[in-house]
Amino acid sequence: MRAVVFEDEGVVQVADVPEPRVLEPGDAVVRVTRAAICGSDLHFYHLKAPVAPGDVLGHEAVGVVESVGDGVASVRPGDRVIVAFDIACGACWFCRRGQTQLCDEAAVLGAGTFGGDLPGTQAERVRVPAADVNLLRMPEGLDDERALFVGDVLTTGFYAASLAAIGPADAVAVIGMGPVGFFAAQSARALGASAVYGLDLDADRLALAERAGAIPVDVSARHPATALADVTDGRGADVVIEAVGSPTAFESAVNVVRRGGRVVVVGMYAGETVEVQLGVYWARAIELRFAGLCPVHAWWERSLAQVVAGAIDPAPLISHRLSLEDAPRGYELFDRREATKVVLTP
Amino acid sequence: MPMFPTDPWFQDLIAQINGSADYLEAAETWEGDITFLVEAEPDKGIPVDVWGLLDLWHGACRGGGVVDEARGYASAYVIRAPYSRWKEVVTGDLDPVRAMMQGKLRVQGDLPTIVRYVRAANELVHLCGEVDTTFPDEA
Repeated sequence: MRAVVFEDEGVVQVADVPEPRVLEPGDAVVRVTRAAICGSDLHFYHLKAPVAPGDVLGHEAVGVVESVGDGVASVRPGDRVIVAFDIACGACWFCRRGQTQLCDEAAVLGAGTFGGDLPGTQAERVRVPAADVNLLRMPEGLDDERALFVGDVLTTGFYAASLAAIGPADAVAVIGMGPVGFFAAQSARALGASAVYGLDLDADRLALAERAGAIPVDVSARHPATALADVTDGRGADVVIEAVGSPTAFESAVNVVRRGGRVVVVGMYAGETVEVQLGVYWARAIELRFAGLCPVHAWWERSLAQVVAGAIDPAPLISHRLSLEDAPRGYELFDRREATKVVLTP
Repeated sequence: MPMFPTDPWFQDLIAQINGSADYLEAAETWEGDITFLVEAEPDKGIPVDVWGLLDLWHGACRGGGVVDEARGYASAYVIRAPYSRWKEVVTGDLDPVRAMMQGKLRVQGDLPTIVRYVRAANELVHLCGEVDTTFPDEA
């Protein structure tokens, strides 16, 4: 079958790879009908995480179940399904508590050695372990594109907004209007925020903020702290969702939140450091929550319900629709930030 | 009148500090240079960050002015805030010690030491207000 494989730093190609098959009783093989290129795929594209030539990339997909192992009960061939980006066992202590991203057997599709060496979803077919846990049946009538991001970035944004416990009078600031920020902003509105501000310095992403129903704040022209103070009687935002994953964004998040406010950090971090005055955090009584990876299995039914209800609309995020064979161009566009989201059709 | 936060403004402030008997008394044991990092607010006429250094030592200011980032960052203390917060400090509308504790002025350096010199800090702010000042967003 055809699949997008890593070739070298900054180079992917579409190649023939072995057909996936059911290896374990809990496995399913899914024929991919839509896949997407995600920001985290660029970590592998740029070799910031270990990946070997020939590894199949990608972790966002929807498709149709083609075959299942003997132990699979919740889906059967012919079912249209959403694939979870993080693969969980569903049985360990953490999974039973809904913290599936902390699963003892945690893996990620298409994420090289760190992801458990599972081939990814940017392919004609993909093997999904523990299919009862890691596949979600799609409701009748929901098209592939609206469901595609539920297995990853859409639910990640919804999860971040949910962790923030947004109330009806809350002013919410979302730092970074990339795909996660886009969905966090829509989710914040869906969860009842009185106003949502989308902070970014990129014109395309500020436009995306507007399409998410947020009030765009251009931080290349305005200081984020004073911009939020100006619209909150000097207090600052009640809730801040940091959706970038950089020390600068983290500091912005803490600077724009009001005293006693809540900061949810959903942007991804690795080795970065920041210097903080703990006394200031303490005196300001800031609630600070690191979201970690999204335990998508615990949240995707709730986020899917918002999509079905029309409260979250992924369509404005998609800038490019390409064939699987055209995926290398999709990576280049996404890497140059000329695409907000690339959808691939095998 | 010098404009905040230009080098002439800091030079006038240094002159005010060195002419103040009250600051000399309040800060007679203070040792350490302080940089005011005035963060950019392009919409208010501050297109880039400005680092204003005061080399404070035993109640006097031995020199300073607008410096580059490397020199400013190497100070014993860096106090940072957006331009409009600094403006509130200069005009006396924002209590500096309370602002530090609330994170409105962010301190890099030993916060408890600065807070112990509350009288000196307040006197410094008072002296800021003594400088005849214009502001870029009011020009």
